[in-house]
Amino acid sequence: MAEIIMLKKLVILLFISLLSVQISHAEGEELPLFSGVGGNFSAVDADGKAVEFSDFLDQVVVLSFGYTNCADICPFTLGYLTRLYSKLTEDEQKKVQVIFVTIDPEYDTPGHLKQFIGHFNSEFVGLSGSKEQIDYIVSLFQAQYQKLSVLNTVPTKNIRQVTPKLFSDESNGEGKASLYSHSVTLYLIDKSGFTRSLEYTGTPVDEFIRKIRGLINE
Amino acid sequence: MNNRRTKWHYLLVLLLLSVINSVYADSQPEIVFESFWIMDAPDVARNTAGYGVIKNKGDTADTLINIRCDMAMVMLHKTAIQSGMAKMIHQSNSVIEAHAELLLAPMSFHLMFMAITPANFSEGKLITVQFEFEKSGVIEVNIPVKANNY
Repeated sequence: MAEIIMLKKLVILLFISLLSVQISHAEGEELPLFSGVGGNFSAVDADGKAVEFSDFLDQVVVLSFGYTNCADICPFTLGYLTRLYSKLTEDEQKKVQVIFVTIDPEYDTPGHLKQFIGHFNSEFVGLSGSKEQIDYIVSLFQAQYQKLSVLNTVPTKNIRQVTPKLFSDESNGEGKASLYSHSVTLYLIDKSGFTRSLEYTGTPVDEFIRKIRGLINE
Repeated sequence: MNNRRTKWHYLLVLLLLSVINSVYADSQPEIVFESFWIMDAPDVARNTAGYGVIKNKGDTADTLINIRCDMAMVMLHKTAIQSGMAKMIHQSNSVIEAHAELLLAPMSFHLMFMAITPANFSEGKLITVQFEFEKSGVIEVNIPVKANNY
């Protein structure tokens, strides 16, 4: 008889522990804290207003680096983030800020950035600034970028065009556009400004959303 | 007797020619373009990208030696992620093996259109691109500009 009671208690205990595991799994995993990645910085927003990263505290931030002349990965990333953002509820969207920091502040003026970001989602924030400001932000997040000169580094020996159209042909000043290699990490930052996860374009959207929700609910 | 032998010779030559012809015909590359599209460019963009599949359904490899577009500079590039950095690598003389394909997709191979006029690369527009292959010659493809719906 005592054995049956013991067995019953064991089954109940097992059931309770299984239930608690299920609940903690549903709440999302505990994300680590990436010390030394990120921090406060100054920049200029798409309206030309000076901002600090601390202005975004109390929101979960997804921060990425890129530039508007990027033809492949930056539009792809912003398209991915737009899709991700659209899967959040309206209430969740208010608690999440997507930030795109340009690594080409010379070309990506605030107004320019506003138009570019607006093409994807007008709620996203584009940040520019002086080259020193951008370099500081890049170093804070342990990111990298490198300028490529189109005319010097892309051999056109075998790939020609019927109408030779070169950046140097442009006369309106906007022809100074450059190409860059740059970090593609998506930094998931909690409401206190700490980097909690490093994601990439291509992280399954549901997995990314689960992490964002976990940080919203912290 | 001589006449009969000459006839046989003619027949043999004809047979040989038809075999050579069929072998030659079978060994041609057959380049096909599928699902090509160009990403619509934001108003301030100077560059955009095109994607799709170039298939070689033939029995011989062919080499893409040239790409032309009247609307922009165009090149075949590949985005490569190395140590967390997106690097753009120019591709020249891309060989497409027999019964193989070259897939152009985001974050990988892509047509890089540079120095564009964004209005020409807005949703609904058609961009004519000429692809020149070593064996297949020039193939002209009209590529639609579509919204970025990743």
